[in-house]
Amino acid sequence: MRLLLVEDDPMIGEAVLELLRGERYAVDWVRDGDMADTALRSTAYDLVLLDLGLPRRDGLDVLRALRARRDRTPVLIATARDAVAQRVQGLDAGADDYVLKPYALDELLARIRALLRRAAGRAEPVYEHQGVSIDTVTREVRVHGQPVVLSAREWAVLEALLARPGRVLSRAQLEDKLYAWKDGISSNAVEVYIHGLRKKLGNELIQNVRGVGYLVPPA
Amino acid sequence: MTSRAVPPSPAFSLRLRLLAWLLGAVVLGALVQAALAYRTALAEADEIFDYHMQQTALALRAGLPATLARPPLVSEAQAENFEFVVQIWSSDGVRIFESAERAALPQRAVLGFSEVVAHGSRYRVYSLATRTQVVQVAQDLRVRHQMARTLALRTVLPTLLMAPLLALVVGWVVSRSLAPVARVSAQLARRAGDDLDTVDESQLPDEVRPLVHELNGLFGRVRAVLQAQQHFVADAAHELRSPLAALKLQAEVLRRARDDAAQERALERLDAGIDRATRLIEQLMVLARQQAQAARGEPAQTLDLATLAHEALAEAAPALSAAGLTAAYDGPADGARIHGHAEALRIALRNLLDNAAKYTPRGGQVVLRLQREPLGGSGGSQATGAAAWLLSVEDSGPGIDEAQRERVLDRFYRVPGTEAPGSGLGLSIVAAIAELHAARLTLGRSEALGGLAVRVRLVAV
Repeated sequence: MRLLLVEDDPMIGEAVLELLRGERYAVDWVRDGDMADTALRSTAYDLVLLDLGLPRRDGLDVLRALRARRDRTPVLIATARDAVAQRVQGLDAGADDYVLKPYALDELLARIRALLRRAAGRAEPVYEHQGVSIDTVTREVRVHGQPVVLSAREWAVLEALLARPGRVLSRAQLEDKLYAWKDGISSNAVEVYIHGLRKKLGNELIQNVRGVGYLVPPA
Repeated sequence: MTSRAVPPSPAFSLRLRLLAWLLGAVVLGALVQAALAYRTALAEADEIFDYHMQQTALALRAGLPATLARPPLVSEAQAENFEFVVQIWSSDGVRIFESAERAALPQRAVLGFSEVVAHGSRYRVYSLATRTQVVQVAQDLRVRHQMARTLALRTVLPTLLMAPLLALVVGWVVSRSLAPVARVSAQLARRAGDDLDTVDESQLPDEVRPLVHELNGLFGRVRAVLQAQQHFVADAAHELRSPLAALKLQAEVLRRARDDAAQERALERLDAGIDRATRLIEQLMVLARQQAQAARGEPAQTLDLATLAHEALAEAAPALSAAGLTAAYDGPADGARIHGHAEALRIALRNLLDNAAKYTPRGGQVVLRLQREPLGGSGGSQATGAAAWLLSVEDSGPGIDEAQRERVLDRFYRVPGTEAPGSGLGLSIVAAIAELHAARLTLGRSEALGGLAVRVRLVAV
């Protein structure tokens, strides 16, 4: 899952970046409103963690521009603006959730997971499909009840495909979810992860649509 | 405004005082007027009776024929009712006419008015001598006085009746005139402690309006101070939240660190975060203290600005050289005397030098300059007339855009894209201290170094 972190405070930014990467999210960090807008126009993120008091362009402005483009990327506002009116304003501008600084990290992570689930059209934290189940909270993977160990990147590919069975994801889309800007991408990386997943979970789960991408066929 | 209800002393009630004096004046006036009217009425009645007696005598001047038979005498009982008695004497002393038998008065040679006692009563007598006779008209004084008193009382009566009416009118007018005062005080009494809206000034008498106007002015000033305070508290709460959020997250990073290197890095950041929060709180305290000092109006002392500048530069030297900057002082060694607060000025200088150290790239220069400005100031539109000392901190850094120069004085405002850590309070503190000294603070471009020049103009002693 690829996240955009919009935060102007370097100390907070550094810490959140490190913590989110620890949770195996691919994270890009921008420090002002203009950069956030540019990033959101050029890259498809799974979620945006948005601060409001930003240099150059206010976070609410960035959010409104995003929603004006009919972009449905989940947006979680994380700010020190605590007045009820400000929270209402943020949610009404199109945010999906709103947390106040200073927040508890576990809560922030849980809210991120919840928003990602909802964006995938699911409410349950465990995705189950054709004998394969993945727990989005504990990150446990089981095949017919047997636990399987996946690498971080393999997990990310599987989560993206299992979230919405039947949807085809291109190689570029999968790469987008796997890598932040700073990460180097090797040309056949996605193929390598798909290969690893098939070895661990069986060949039938992930299918290839030649020239288009990969999918988990609907039940 | 609070519930402390101190009962107003009656001595200070304008209404009671007005009522007491006005009602007193009404009563006294009525009494004096009544007394005067009574006396005047008595005197007038006297004059009128005298005039009547005189006219009666004159009417009888033609005299009576000496041969006239005695007229039938009025009985004694009837005579009681007569107040006037007429007697006519012939020139040879014979009484030829008397109007009442028992009322016969002694013959008197005194012509004109006189008083006699007869039959146990005092009589007022008017005697008129004609060629052949003497006509005497007399009046019982007891009757006369009684009638005069009745007349006099009649003239006094309206005054005595009018007095209570007048008192009522006075009471009504006083109460009505003071009604706006009562209305304003009722309006104020109903207020909550934080209600500082202006009081309605319309329909107030000229005497009360200036007072209410001043009150409204005071309300306005208090409101401004309170608002500034509220904004400050809100800003401070908001600004404190960010370093706290950073600390909390860094603690989380530390908890999750898997190896020693990660732990070390996390600890370093946590340390830096604590330093930052500490610095912010210190700056907040300094700002609050400066503003409180300005509000208290503590007396200023005579100071030597040159000494202060030296000390400040010496204090900042380690930080400046650590930032790879060369620092210099340009100004007199001493004798730059001003009225001011030493500690506040030290803080201002420290903040300005800190800023220079923070924002000037390595290898740059910082100059602390102290110049005497001639009388009237250099190009100062408001000629103050006094000479001044211009204290400036200049650097070779990037400076501040003209558009940003006003805003950087705002609390917590930081120029967008600023990398160096800071609270956004440094220049606000300098501005507060400049205000405390009634000094002019200007931000501009350093002509010598090309960077920012912060100038503080203090009036010389």
